[in-house]
Amino acid sequence: MTAPIGIEPLLAISHNTLVVACGVAAVGFAAGVIGCFGVLRKRALVGDAAAHATLVGVALAFLATGRRDLPVLLVGGFISGLVALGVLVLLKRCSRTRDDAATAIVLSVSFGLGITLVSGITARGIPGGAGLEQFLLGHTAALTTADAVLLAAVSAAAVLLLVVLLKEATLVAFDSSFAAATGWPVALIDYCLVMLVAVMVVAGLPAAGAVLVTALVVIPPVAARQWTDRVPTMLLLSGVFGVVSALCGVAVSAVVPRLATGPLVVLAAAFIFAVSFVVAPDRGWWARHRQRLAHQKQ
Amino acid sequence: MHPPLGEPILEFHDVTVAYGRRPVLWNVDLTIDEPGLFGIIGPNGAGKSTLLKAALGLIPLAGGTITFFGRPFAEVRGRIGYVPQRETVDWDFPVSVSDVVLMGTYGRLGWFRRPGRRERDLAGESLARVGLADVAGRQIGKLSGGQQQRVFLARALAQQADVYVLDEPMAGVDARSQELIFGVLSELRDAGRLVVVVHHDLRTAAQWFDRVALIDMRLVAVGLTATVLTPENLERTYAGRLDLLDELGRAVEERGRTS
Repeated sequence: MTAPIGIEPLLAISHNTLVVACGVAAVGFAAGVIGCFGVLRKRALVGDAAAHATLVGVALAFLATGRRDLPVLLVGGFISGLVALGVLVLLKRCSRTRDDAATAIVLSVSFGLGITLVSGITARGIPGGAGLEQFLLGHTAALTTADAVLLAAVSAAAVLLLVVLLKEATLVAFDSSFAAATGWPVALIDYCLVMLVAVMVVAGLPAAGAVLVTALVVIPPVAARQWTDRVPTMLLLSGVFGVVSALCGVAVSAVVPRLATGPLVVLAAAFIFAVSFVVAPDRGWWARHRQRLAHQKQ
Repeated sequence: MHPPLGEPILEFHDVTVAYGRRPVLWNVDLTIDEPGLFGIIGPNGAGKSTLLKAALGLIPLAGGTITFFGRPFAEVRGRIGYVPQRETVDWDFPVSVSDVVLMGTYGRLGWFRRPGRRERDLAGESLARVGLADVAGRQIGKLSGGQQQRVFLARALAQQADVYVLDEPMAGVDARSQELIFGVLSELRDAGRLVVVVHHDLRTAAQWFDRVALIDMRLVAVGLTATVLTPENLERTYAGRLDLLDELGRAVEERGRTS
């Protein structure tokens, strides 16, 4: 077997790029798999609120440690993402604000705060602070081998946990009141699923950035749903779509320096979605169009 | 199957339920101490479904107690099968008919264990009982409303319960499916189970149920169907509803024909 053509320019660049590509591919896969349950539970935007809030934690973690250490920054981002989700829950419970409005408020306010912090750090010229902007739109070229290994490990753990919980997660996502009546702790299982989405949003930051990382947990699942009527197949397919999208972003941004990865990843995912939307058997636009025609002929 | 002597199968004691600060059910006292087909009847917004959900621990009680076999629901939930309203789930969800029926076995399986041959056989039998064995592999959204309702019934059958609780199982269901569902419920009754059904159609209620409770935010009447579905009781339950006269007329007429 010969290597696919697209890999060769990567090999020509460096060993590190290859390791980074593998790490980011793992993130793409896990984000696609985990994202399925966000979409199936109809909570696609919850991840987005968490994603936009990660910037605050990233900036604060940098200010606290004075170093641009990826694990530290990501832990900071994870914490501020969770805080934002907590605020979201409180806002819905304690005020009469509707779901979508509450999400929009938390998302924009936390993002505004994050941008203020990051641009403040950049403006002050704090050493190392300039790189923080990379968390806005993603920039995989800056990743080290150790970073990539960490991201891959986190992704593997997330997928493993979801596979273990697959039966319970499917039950809760499909029919939460039946799940509750038959004794399953719906809130706990929901909480695990939201945590997994938050973890993948944070792990996806280097690849796609705070603004666009949601696309990694939403577009591949929606595209995968077009092709199949079964949850396990959907998870697998969504993971594959995530890998392809992530790798496209890494490959192009590795070849063209200073190009942010995030937009490329999202464009690749959008392309897969568009193709799925049109040509998927049964659910695709073309298949339904032909069904309509056949129906009219009868 | 039969409850220990003296313990009612299902007992509501002074139950009050509120959504926020607005009470929807007041001081309901209701005891069911023998198996059979039991209808909970009342107008829209009377709190019928609320009563069921409260019994299953899905809505907190503002006051009172509900027990199955003399014990709180949480201790005996394995013995209670549940059929929720059809509209509560997304039928576009990527699962097959048999996947959904298998969910009835999850409670018994517990955490992390996957359904095996025994569970698959049970799901297959349950599907056959509701006449859907031939669509087991189909995605649930491709079924008719009546078939979807039968999938939910099959899932409850796979729970292998002693008490079955159904929330509006006949709503938006075609005549053939209604008959099939009623047939399965009658089988359960004949096998000594208690089947509690929230139902809104007075006409069929008179034909189907052994006993009924009339509910309009409070318990209006309870007992044998023939003695409860009287014009006076119906008037008290449906007072002020626009469709009253029509429904009432049909119900009384049906009762006269069946008794």
